[in-house]
Amino acid sequence: MNQILLPVVLPLLAAFLMQPLAQVSRLAARALGPLVLVLSALITARIWLGFGEAPFTVAIGGFAPPLGIVFYADHLALLFALTVPLFTLLFWPGLGDQDSDPGHCARRDALVLLLVAAATGLALSGDLFNIYIFYELAAVASFGLASLTGTPRALVATLRYLLISAFGSVLSLVGISFLYMATGTLNLAQLAQLAPQTLQGPLGLASFALMLIGFGVKAELFPLNTWVPDVYATAPARVAALLAGLVSKLAVLVVVRLLVLVFQQPEASQLLLSLGVLGVLTGELAAWRARDFARMIAFSSIGQLGIVFIAFSIDGDTGLLAGIAVALHHLIVKSALFGLAARWNGSLEALTGAARRSPLAAGLFVLFALSLIGVPPLPGFWAKILVLVGLAQGGSTLQLFALVSVLLVTAVEASYLFRVAVRLYGQSDSPPAPPARWDLGAATLLGAALIGVTLATAPVADHLRNVARQAGNAALYVDTVFPKTVAQKD
Amino acid sequence: MIHFTLETVVYAGAIGLVAIGALGLVLCNHLFRMLLALGIAESGANLLLILTGFRPDATAPIIGYGPAGASMVDPLPQVLVLTAIVIGVGVQAMAVSMLVRVYRAYGTLEMSELRRRMELDISAAAGIRAPSSAQSPAGERPLPPVPAYRPASARVQPRES
Repeated sequence: MNQILLPVVLPLLAAFLMQPLAQVSRLAARALGPLVLVLSALITARIWLGFGEAPFTVAIGGFAPPLGIVFYADHLALLFALTVPLFTLLFWPGLGDQDSDPGHCARRDALVLLLVAAATGLALSGDLFNIYIFYELAAVASFGLASLTGTPRALVATLRYLLISAFGSVLSLVGISFLYMATGTLNLAQLAQLAPQTLQGPLGLASFALMLIGFGVKAELFPLNTWVPDVYATAPARVAALLAGLVSKLAVLVVVRLLVLVFQQPEASQLLLSLGVLGVLTGELAAWRARDFARMIAFSSIGQLGIVFIAFSIDGDTGLLAGIAVALHHLIVKSALFGLAARWNGSLEALTGAARRSPLAAGLFVLFALSLIGVPPLPGFWAKILVLVGLAQGGSTLQLFALVSVLLVTAVEASYLFRVAVRLYGQSDSPPAPPARWDLGAATLLGAALIGVTLATAPVADHLRNVARQAGNAALYVDTVFPKTVAQKD
Repeated sequence: MIHFTLETVVYAGAIGLVAIGALGLVLCNHLFRMLLALGIAESGANLLLILTGFRPDATAPIIGYGPAGASMVDPLPQVLVLTAIVIGVGVQAMAVSMLVRVYRAYGTLEMSELRRRMELDISAAAGIRAPSSAQSPAGERPLPPVPAYRPASARVQPRES
């Protein structure tokens, strides 16, 4: 079971070996990244397939918690730990790349591997400061990746992202200090044990709000998402796919763990709900006004993550199930859309007639658009209906307002997505270039996965229900990290 | 009435530093000043974290440093702050290197001007018209032609002498 550490350690090691290896052999340096990712994916897949029902922990270095750092692996953590190397392989920035400068390639590959190591660590870690460190590692790697093209606009966009992200991490450090002041520990399981006594007052809520601001920058939480459209428009499309699809979900996962284990008070859920509603409304309305493809899907990403936050603010297992469903659906669809945006990166008018040059890409866009809007029987419909049912069952004023917002926003989404779809099938003398082979291949694979999930909705839903039930069980988390000895059991 | 011990004053100082940094980040227009404000805020946050481990009349957490049996301050926040300082330094170094490249490319470090130029560049790269901004409220639409200005002395007919 210690092998679960390898998907974090191997990419870190490979990232630092990349530069020296590039001096020795260019081919080896180009192959090292995908090789390490395939190895991580195989290790995680083996652990996932052999996973029973009980989550397990690994104490790093043999130091038992709460003094030592512990890695906690349950269904949810393993699911995300598996998607990280798979999606990075699909959107590997070096695929089909004609860039001949080996130093640049080595730096880019090292940054992606650092991002992968940090993302896997975020999914698995059970200690709050360890999570903070992995989050900062992911942030620094994404700064480097976002400014990869080196154009001045990319640098300015990355600088804005850096300032917002660094300010957020200052605030989350202040939140962590409040937490430490109140409880004296930073181990998530011990925090879960101590939370009912120590974190119920204003200090607990303030600490949650500060950490939400800190971890919400990557999760595109309102109002910390002003960096999103510029960075996704100026970064290379595959990097935008990784950031928007993968890294944002892991930031959401961190917030969910905090919400489930440590901050169970209703004010915390209400804060998340209000920020989610604001994010949904602003994101989707801005997407409706956008005039180029990359920023349209960037704003749409803000809106969808707002729906994810609304879902996670619903109490109990229904909220967790809805949130996980929307998050996974967004991971698949948004990454594929950013992949298609690599060549379709002009204005929306320039997309006219694209279906003539590339009918497969246009068909995939229509499929993803239908799923985003929530047309049955596609998975997007099931995810959204889970959110709406959960909100309706809640019934408070804020939740009903959120329900109305989500429905309104669905209409807005339909408007701007169908606008683009109609344009794709229009007539034009100069249609845009078709997407590159690798991007189209990745999008086709994800489209096939979407159709596969549509055909197998019931088993997938059962598995996700299992995942949500296990993730929401705070008592199970505490019992796994601090197993009761036989003498303590009654 | 708040008991004004040294500890309270230092707590207030740490939170004050974070507040100063936050204000500076939000209010400053010059990119380098924003970075400095960020550095101040990081110092404040690190100070606050160390303060959580403070115990009155305790020595440094080094074995053999103080008298035997003396209480020590909590070493865990100090370890955390070491990491946080290093992360802060790394991020600031990256920011400064990007700042230098931005200055070479755009010639200015004023954030409002940089955002306007970035917006123009993104729109130009996408082939769309730039959105309206404070400097050009009508967007980049062409203004109506203005008739040529002829000074008053040229317009008056010279007297027949």
